[in-house]
Amino acid sequence: MLLLLLGLARVMRPVEQRAQAALSAAQSDLALSQIEGTLGQGIILAVLGGFRTILADFSWIRLNAAWEQKAHGELDALIRLVTTLEPDSVYFWINSARMLAYDVPHWRIDAAGGASVLSATQQREIVEEQAQHAFALLARARQFHPLDSKLHLEVAQIYLIRLQDHAAAGEWFLQASQLPAAPYYAARRHADLLQLQGLNQQAYLFLKQLHQKLPDEDPYAQKNIVLERIQQLEASMQLPAGLR
Amino acid sequence: MINSLQRIHWIAANTFLEAVRQKFFHALLLLSLALLGSSVFFQQFNFGSNELKFLTDFGFAAILFFGSILSIVLSTQLFFNELEDRTALTLLAKPVHKLEFLAGKFFGAYALMFCFTFALSLLLAVLLFWRETILISQLADGLADGRLIRYGDVFVFGLVQWLKFAVISAMTLFIGSFAQTNLFTIVVSFFALIICQLQYIAREAYVGIESSLARGILHLLGWIFPNFQIFNLGEQLVYPVEQPLALSTLAWLAAYAGSYSLAFLLLAQLNFRNREL
Repeated sequence: MLLLLLGLARVMRPVEQRAQAALSAAQSDLALSQIEGTLGQGIILAVLGGFRTILADFSWIRLNAAWEQKAHGELDALIRLVTTLEPDSVYFWINSARMLAYDVPHWRIDAAGGASVLSATQQREIVEEQAQHAFALLARARQFHPLDSKLHLEVAQIYLIRLQDHAAAGEWFLQASQLPAAPYYAARRHADLLQLQGLNQQAYLFLKQLHQKLPDEDPYAQKNIVLERIQQLEASMQLPAGLR
Repeated sequence: MINSLQRIHWIAANTFLEAVRQKFFHALLLLSLALLGSSVFFQQFNFGSNELKFLTDFGFAAILFFGSILSIVLSTQLFFNELEDRTALTLLAKPVHKLEFLAGKFFGAYALMFCFTFALSLLLAVLLFWRETILISQLADGLADGRLIRYGDVFVFGLVQWLKFAVISAMTLFIGSFAQTNLFTIVVSFFALIICQLQYIAREAYVGIESSLARGILHLLGWIFPNFQIFNLGEQLVYPVEQPLALSTLAWLAAYAGSYSLAFLLLAQLNFRNREL
């Protein structure tokens, strides 16, 4: 009996390895050691038993409950849990980063006494610290999704909205625009931010190159908007007609 | 040969009819359908288009979980009912080979598993279609490229799980062939299911173990128990991915499931041949 099963296993091993290879190629590995402390043994069994994604989903719902209660510590632990259980979901990475960068700073400021108690410098430090946490999370996300422009765009938005760092935001918009299936607006935002920094010449040259690459038939490309901006820059820089 | 197949067919048909009347099957089917139907409450969380992913994961987990339970319990009940009611004696007094009896029981239960898996897959596909239609009208930007979901993949997942249920049913019949009670069969079958689901972890672990005896035992377990992890293909299905599921992978899985099912049935027959009824 045992010999029959062993013989069958020997024959079926190549079949199993092919199927396992197909499965491993499409799914990210589970870094269980990173979250073992957070999980009970029963949960670990369930995770390994094929219920990984549904557990990630339920953990995300728990995370949203922690977010509503402004439970910072629990939020951090659940973000680590969810992104480890299901690193293939960009939705979890982006929304977690948003919570860290946009919401947690306000919780921490309120917990420390509010904007009337903390100085602007102290508030700025908290915002920057949380932004760095969000950047670290998005950097881990990019290990799983190196070609997903949404992650680069998220970094750019945090630099722009939370840190008011136009140079860094512009750089990240540029990187995002160079990735496959990136939205057209990423390149336009890079040019806008160059103008905000007073780098009109660079913005002008960039927009001219961009205009040549944009498709005519795609309304999302907004080629006419890009042309308008080029013309505005030509007028503001008072370029001679021969150089336009 | 044709007569043998006919006998298997009759026993399977009778087993299917008996299985359909089982209260446990009705209860589990209703529970599964209700649980799946309740998943539409995910819309309360306003996750946008990601709600569809939640719905899909929930549906797949329901098929996996309830299907596994039903495979074990149904196969055990159908087998032991024949033994306890002594109808097996009457049947085997006729020119019915014990292997035909086991095969008939297996295919009868397996046909019911097909109905169960199909029903859940159909309900999941309907729910996904309904929610995706609503979300497309609500989130014009988020779903600008049209429908995300490949509905055929929902049934492909159901098919892959149905292949796994064949191995579970056959393994349960093998355990039942030497067990004396149905409770023992169910409990041992569940443990075997857990081992099959987790044995890929043991294989990775034994590489680093120093003790050669422990390594040998784990190696042996890895060879005896089929690897159910290869049937967990949910992440490659339904949504656009970089590496979609290849048809050849389905074929390999079918060959894998078929081979192990046959092996367990043959082993069950070896035990059953010498069993006193």
